[in-house]
Amino acid sequence: MRRGPGAVLLGPYVLLLLLFFLTPLVLMLLISVSRQSFGELEWTVTLHHYARFFSDSYYLSVLWDTLLLGLITTACALLLGYPIAYHLSFTRSRWKPMLIVFILSPLLVGIVIRCYGWMILLADRGLINATLTEHGWITKPLPLMYNKFGVTLALVHVFLPFMVLSLTGVLKRIDPQLVEASKTLGASPRRAFFEVTLPLSLPGILAGSLLVFSLAISSFVVPILVGGFKVHVLPMIVYEQVLSVFDWPFGAANAFVLLVISIVLIAVYIKVTERALRGIV
Amino acid sequence: MILRVSVALIYAFMLLPLVIVVLAAFNAGNYFTFPPQGFSLKWFANFFNRREFMQALWISTEVAFWTALASTVIGTAAAVVLVRARFKGRDLLNAFVTSPLLLPQILTGVALLQFYTLLNMHASYAALLIGHIVVTTPYVIRTVTATLTHFDVALEEAAQSLGAHPVRAFFEITLGVIKPGVVAGAIFAFAISFDNFTLSLFLTSAQLTPLPIELFAYLKYSFDPTAAAVSAFAIGVALVLVLGIARFMGLEEFTGF
Repeated sequence: MRRGPGAVLLGPYVLLLLLFFLTPLVLMLLISVSRQSFGELEWTVTLHHYARFFSDSYYLSVLWDTLLLGLITTACALLLGYPIAYHLSFTRSRWKPMLIVFILSPLLVGIVIRCYGWMILLADRGLINATLTEHGWITKPLPLMYNKFGVTLALVHVFLPFMVLSLTGVLKRIDPQLVEASKTLGASPRRAFFEVTLPLSLPGILAGSLLVFSLAISSFVVPILVGGFKVHVLPMIVYEQVLSVFDWPFGAANAFVLLVISIVLIAVYIKVTERALRGIV
Repeated sequence: MILRVSVALIYAFMLLPLVIVVLAAFNAGNYFTFPPQGFSLKWFANFFNRREFMQALWISTEVAFWTALASTVIGTAAAVVLVRARFKGRDLLNAFVTSPLLLPQILTGVALLQFYTLLNMHASYAALLIGHIVVTTPYVIRTVTATLTHFDVALEEAAQSLGAHPVRAFFEITLGVIKPGVVAGAIFAFAISFDNFTLSLFLTSAQLTPLPIELFAYLKYSFDPTAAAVSAFAIGVALVLVLGIARFMGLEEFTGF
């Protein structure tokens, strides 16, 4: 394609991104090194807000908790996502389209609604506790919500579809003949899985894990609704600093810490998948 | 056998919260218990009678419509170039145009909030709309790219050698072939915008509240099943949109199967 029409077609989106995506992010970086006094920004270059973050044991513990929560969520999503992806990749069931709808619909249903579903189930007067109390099996409600357990459960649920889609992307490209060959050579189905299928699906495992980890550490809707502000994570601090405390520079500095982690993860993700443009995840 | 049972259980885990929300919306009681306390439509009546929910529903629908339209046009145009172009730095450009999709939306939200506030256009309709277009366009690019990779450029060249103007060749041949991807991309963009919470939270005000934000505000103060009726309605919309994508593009192609 000649340069002319290409630039005309690509131009609007690239311009939109430069103006309303890249510029705001650069501005955020500038704000994170500025000073704020009496609500007014002073454009200086200070690392004060970063120093405040990295010298306060509270913020460091929040950062640690956020990463740990992300890690546990990723591990659980992988454990639950792999069997589903494996089944979906090799099944010849006529129900397959419906199964894909089951995987996709949670993606299209808003995150607030999915959290609300868990709230109905896990709350102190929620379905599980109410049912158990009614039957006299427990006397006081089990602590299912407003803690790390509930948040992890909801996070796994919210991001599982991304793991499944990343895994199927790799699993369905594995040549079935390789597995057949290993079985012909005497390998048990179990050994064929662990020595052929599993190693070949490693790129998918890595891609899905990076994606879920990156999404989990930046989620704040789940900690707010299912965690009831009791589970403190980095994105929640960003949210509070920017929208309630109105300390923009410190909020921006927090956001920038999250941004650096995300960019590293995204870079590795693109490198691993080498498919920046294909598939919806 | 073990695989089948565990797969069935994991599907149940995935669907459980959604099923519960829908059941709670049709349940007569204030609290959802098992077994349900009888069928009732009063929570839906409450949803449709509340002005703030109706207003929010209208805003969400309108924003989603314009977002889908704009992102489909600029996303399709961009995809056509990105698939065919062979130039230095193409991979970097690909990464750049899909980055709004990979970057956590809270970051895009905070950055846009600060940017808009300094420009004095915070909480305006245009600000919200542009934010939505930025995050939905990469999805359109991906779905259109998926159909474009099967497209044989020779078809377009044939039309041109038969005397068709390049623009006409594009609209009559190329667009005809990639239409399923374009329509599916538009539907998906609509769905993403309609359900968007994270970005909208940073770009809205009391006068400009899309449905997910209204629902979130409602849930912070009350726990009554009107929220379930709102959610069940949104789940219904999502289901219709998924079926639309299935109809136009096929879900296996759409998800990259």
